[in-house]
Amino acid sequence: MQTAFHIVVCAGIVPDPLQSLEPITTTAGPGLKNEMVLPAVLDPWAASALYEAAALAAKAPGGRLWLVSLGPKAKLQQVMMTVAQKVLFELAPIDGPIGGFPDAHATAAILADMIAALPGLDRERLLLFGGWESAARGAGVTLQLVGERLGISDQFQGVDQIDLHDDGSFEVLERVEGGKYQVSVCAGAPAVLGWATGNLAEPRNNPQLGMANMRTIMPALQKAPASKLEANGLSYISAALPKQQRTTRVVKDMTPDQIAAELAEWIGTE
Amino acid sequence: MSGDTTNTGSPATDFARQTMEVDIACVGFGPATGGFLTTISRAWAENPADPAFESKVAPGMPLQVVCYERADDIASGVSGVVTRAQGIRASFTELNPAEIPMATEVSSERVLYLLDPLGASRRSYTLRIADRVLRALGPIAKVRDHSFELPWTPAFLKKHGGLVMSIGQFNQWVGSLLMTSGLVQIWPGTPVSEPLFEPTAAGRAVRGIRLTDQGVDKKGNPAGGFMPGMDVRALLTVVGDGPVGSVSQSIDREFGTPPAHSHDEWALGMKFVIELPEDAVADSPLNSGAVWHTFGFPEPEVFGFLYVHPARLVSVGIFIPSWMTDPSRTAYRYLQHYIQHPALWRYLKDGTLRSWGAKSIDESGKLGEPHLTGDGYARIGENSGSTNVLTGSGVDEAWTTGTQLGEAAIELLRAGLPFTQRNLNETYVKLRRASWVEQGAREAQNSRNGFRAGIVKGMIGMALTGLTGGRLSLKASKRSAGERVVRVEESLTRKKAAELIVADGRPLHDALLSARGWPEIHFDGRLLISHQDALLMGGKVQAVPGSADHVVFPDAGLCIVCDEKTCIAMCSGQAITLADDGAPTFEREKCVHCGACLWNCAHPPPDSLSPIEFRGGAGGLHSAEN
Amino acid sequence: MESILVLTHADETGIALTKASLEAVSAGLELTSRLGVSLTIGIVAVDAQSAAAAVSSSGARLLGVSGEPFRHALYATDAAACEALCRAAQATIVLAPGSSRFARVAAGVAHRLGGFIDTHIGSIGGTVNIEAGRWFYRQRVEAVLSRDRRPWFLLIDPGIRSAFAGEPGPAQIEQVPANLPQLRTTVSGFRAPSLGTQTIRPDARLLFVAGAGWTKKQPDGQTHVPEAGDLILGFLRVAGASLGSSKSLVDQGGEGQSVLPFLTHLNQIGQTGATPHHPKGLATCCHGEEPHVVGWRFIGDRRAVSLDPTCGWTRGKADVVYIADAFQVMAKLNELMGSGSA
Repeated sequence: MQTAFHIVVCAGIVPDPLQSLEPITTTAGPGLKNEMVLPAVLDPWAASALYEAAALAAKAPGGRLWLVSLGPKAKLQQVMMTVAQKVLFELAPIDGPIGGFPDAHATAAILADMIAALPGLDRERLLLFGGWESAARGAGVTLQLVGERLGISDQFQGVDQIDLHDDGSFEVLERVEGGKYQVSVCAGAPAVLGWATGNLAEPRNNPQLGMANMRTIMPALQKAPASKLEANGLSYISAALPKQQRTTRVVKDMTPDQIAAELAEWIGTE
Repeated sequence: MSGDTTNTGSPATDFARQTMEVDIACVGFGPATGGFLTTISRAWAENPADPAFESKVAPGMPLQVVCYERADDIASGVSGVVTRAQGIRASFTELNPAEIPMATEVSSERVLYLLDPLGASRRSYTLRIADRVLRALGPIAKVRDHSFELPWTPAFLKKHGGLVMSIGQFNQWVGSLLMTSGLVQIWPGTPVSEPLFEPTAAGRAVRGIRLTDQGVDKKGNPAGGFMPGMDVRALLTVVGDGPVGSVSQSIDREFGTPPAHSHDEWALGMKFVIELPEDAVADSPLNSGAVWHTFGFPEPEVFGFLYVHPARLVSVGIFIPSWMTDPSRTAYRYLQHYIQHPALWRYLKDGTLRSWGAKSIDESGKLGEPHLTGDGYARIGENSGSTNVLTGSGVDEAWTTGTQLGEAAIELLRAGLPFTQRNLNETYVKLRRASWVEQGAREAQNSRNGFRAGIVKGMIGMALTGLTGGRLSLKASKRSAGERVVRVEESLTRKKAAELIVADGRPLHDALLSARGWPEIHFDGRLLISHQDALLMGGKVQAVPGSADHVVFPDAGLCIVCDEKTCIAMCSGQAITLADDGAPTFEREKCVHCGACLWNCAHPPPDSLSPIEFRGGAGGLHSAEN
Repeated sequence: MESILVLTHADETGIALTKASLEAVSAGLELTSRLGVSLTIGIVAVDAQSAAAAVSSSGARLLGVSGEPFRHALYATDAAACEALCRAAQATIVLAPGSSRFARVAAGVAHRLGGFIDTHIGSIGGTVNIEAGRWFYRQRVEAVLSRDRRPWFLLIDPGIRSAFAGEPGPAQIEQVPANLPQLRTTVSGFRAPSLGTQTIRPDARLLFVAGAGWTKKQPDGQTHVPEAGDLILGFLRVAGASLGSSKSLVDQGGEGQSVLPFLTHLNQIGQTGATPHHPKGLATCCHGEEPHVVGWRFIGDRRAVSLDPTCGWTRGKADVVYIADAFQVMAKLNELMGSGSA
């Protein structure tokens, strides 16, 4: 018999990775130009965590799946227009600032408080999922801090796979150096899993799912509590686009053999 | 609402097609459906208990209203817009442009005739004489930077009191308001494949729409994760899918078009959004809200525009019309030459390219108006011929037709009447015919007739129509489809072009332009970039995995023997190229869904613009700075 | 007055410090000498005494947590060990290598100590205050930050500093006891990705990136995917290179198109993939578009082979671009390098 978990997925929103980004200075520190205007997506690895969570929930029905997300309400709403079509979940949004520059400790504090207050959450069955590193801050710190705040000391990062055993325990694959996986077995919930890409393809847009989700998502968004992020003594001295422009030598008139010879010399022996 | 909702997202293996019932299904999210949904949701918000707004398909629930948009984001629309905003302001009486990113009030307007400083454009004898005269008069005639500013803006073009906007940001803004209202749901990334037809006693009705299949290969056959497109059955289908929408095409095929109406006139609009540097050029007229209309360069047939948004962003673009009969007509390179015209380049040259986009514009106007209604459906916006081809405005008109349908729907809901053609005619069509949209469309009806005979005649015709409010116009001369594209290249130019193709593998249209004397573009990686790099600007043009090719060449044999390959020259994203055997190939990852392939065939079959099929599909542009 | 603690850990042997740990020690030494403050090195290992030999000449106070429970990388045990070391050292600044082992726990430890953490640190500078440099938005924005609260944990990216190479010798180490909670997780081993071929080599001198062009139709109108696979794998073998890929090539697997079977998303470089640190990089059949190229941020010398003279590499993203057929170039290159004549 499969345990029915209570899976909470923490996911922020980030600008669509293919947009042009430019840092600017705001009163609250560095920010991105036009961030509120740029199309946003659910943080990619956190989105993987969400899809893996949904797959897990399908294997062991009877559980619950929450998506906890901190961001400006309007942007969250836009992102939900796509995400809500993918998998079924309950949304627990927090209306707050966007971006990778605010202090991760402040973000984690707010998320942890929200999760602790989720009605009906059973800590003994809690699997805390999220992205290992975000596409914004890319620190790999927030989820870990949330887990620590919730008193969970079985944490896994860089996860690509989880396999459930019948007794409620599970095996986890974490990315380590050299392209390998470390394989661990955990006795069961509670646990924290910071996901990398996982193995699942992005689910297709399913309008029926979207409509079912929207019934709970819209009211939740309207009731989202507002929050402020503490600075926690973090300050930025500079934030800039790297200046990296090389002078490229374009070679058009060498034969493949000549090119190979030149490359072989460049690569050298060691 | 019926339908299976237990799918939690695991890969679907059930091949049965799902169905869903709604009251109103909208196809496409743009200004037209924006106007429709705004009208409906406002009326509902005023009195949600009104029995008119009770769902007929889900008793006890409010009206089930959904809108499906094929683009991955409702902010992906392309158009630098300048609009009188008459209809929009009627809906948003307290509108403050500052609320909408990239929007501002029109502050100044000018019309420029651009001379050709390069001598490469294909001007007629008359035009060359006119240019020579202008040059000779020089400063006396106020000819500056190879351009001549008209001393006044013709009334029919005037947009003063209006707005400069980004259509993507406007749609996004409207969409946000709608989603917050709670009545309507907008679903991006959900293309519609076709309408659902049903036989009735009176003939055929539209009873909803079918979404595209997902999890298929390029040809549309089921592959991994196959999910057949859901059928969304609706009591009213609102067709707002634009000039090249698949539902509009289907309905036209099914029900035909009114006699003597056809979609013969088109233009491809292509534009850049350029960010000007912080230190502005001294005395630069490019202040927020500035509007330029141009004509004469890069080719006499090409109209151009430049609109200045806040924060030093400029939308600048050109229209390549179907009555430009050069078979190698193309847009991207011409656009690059356009922005390098001295009159523009002096202000644009230090700018940075932020984004790029293109779309087809239906220039048939009233003469392309389809049947506006049928049993179970109504058409609004650009696909319904609402664009005013004289004033060159479509957004406000589209919005207004949407509000008109909205009011009609409310009236019918309140009266408990079904959405039959007759009922829709007596409400929606009646409202529309009595409105300024109709009046403008009638005035504009014959404004473009002269262009088929050439640019000079065309401009005269346009002026005639414009200045007499439509009372006087040049007569239309119907040109057959085959005459649309005319090869007049002299053999020496073609030979030179062929050499260029061999030398560096460039496409024919590009080589021809160089052979005609257009200078090579010097890419600087900042403002002047290669066509393929433009697809990566801002947000990359993308295809959605698991979808079929939405541009299909059903008869490769026809294409192989074609010499002109105008479809390739006009493909906005260079998504259509040639395979070795001469057959066209399509790369979905480069397609921006502009629809140019639908009207740029040099050898169309009789009664058709093009053998190429352009269907509904997801993906395309992704930039919000557009 | 600051005080520095450098946390280190052993490798699979349990008794030798990892290279990344020794790099962190170098960083610690540099910082202490700049600030004129004291250095402590904490070691987590099965046998911290033996591991300490490598840093005995550093002059730092040495602390260790030893025991079999600390052989494997596990949150509960590593967090307890690091927490114990931090409490014993009472340092204001804690440096640690950004290895997967410490990245897993460092934030949790910082929280237990009432401190704050910043990871993926590329540089530590500053004269008055300590200023740390790191990347945001997947290597697209470079920022320098500072904190005024203590303790401040800084996880240093591997491959940036040189490893401490002092003369090893017997070490004076204080063993620190760690409070272990009841353990609910065990490490059962390691696994290579299912394809078996080990293509990711972070320590290789060359990164070889295969782009989507390898699987597209070639000038003869056909695709040559098996040959592409052979050429790529062959090159990896003779050059000992690490294999990277663009997102578009990795994604092809889902489209039913021909795909190179040894490529997985683990090989992906760029926006949604990895950002490796190799001294040289060779891109082949790759467009050089920005979302991929951001992954090359830390690659030193760059060259590309492509048939497209207008690809992104030609515009300032590479040092040399050869406009040529990669199939021909790589075939010859494999021949030259394989025969040892290079």
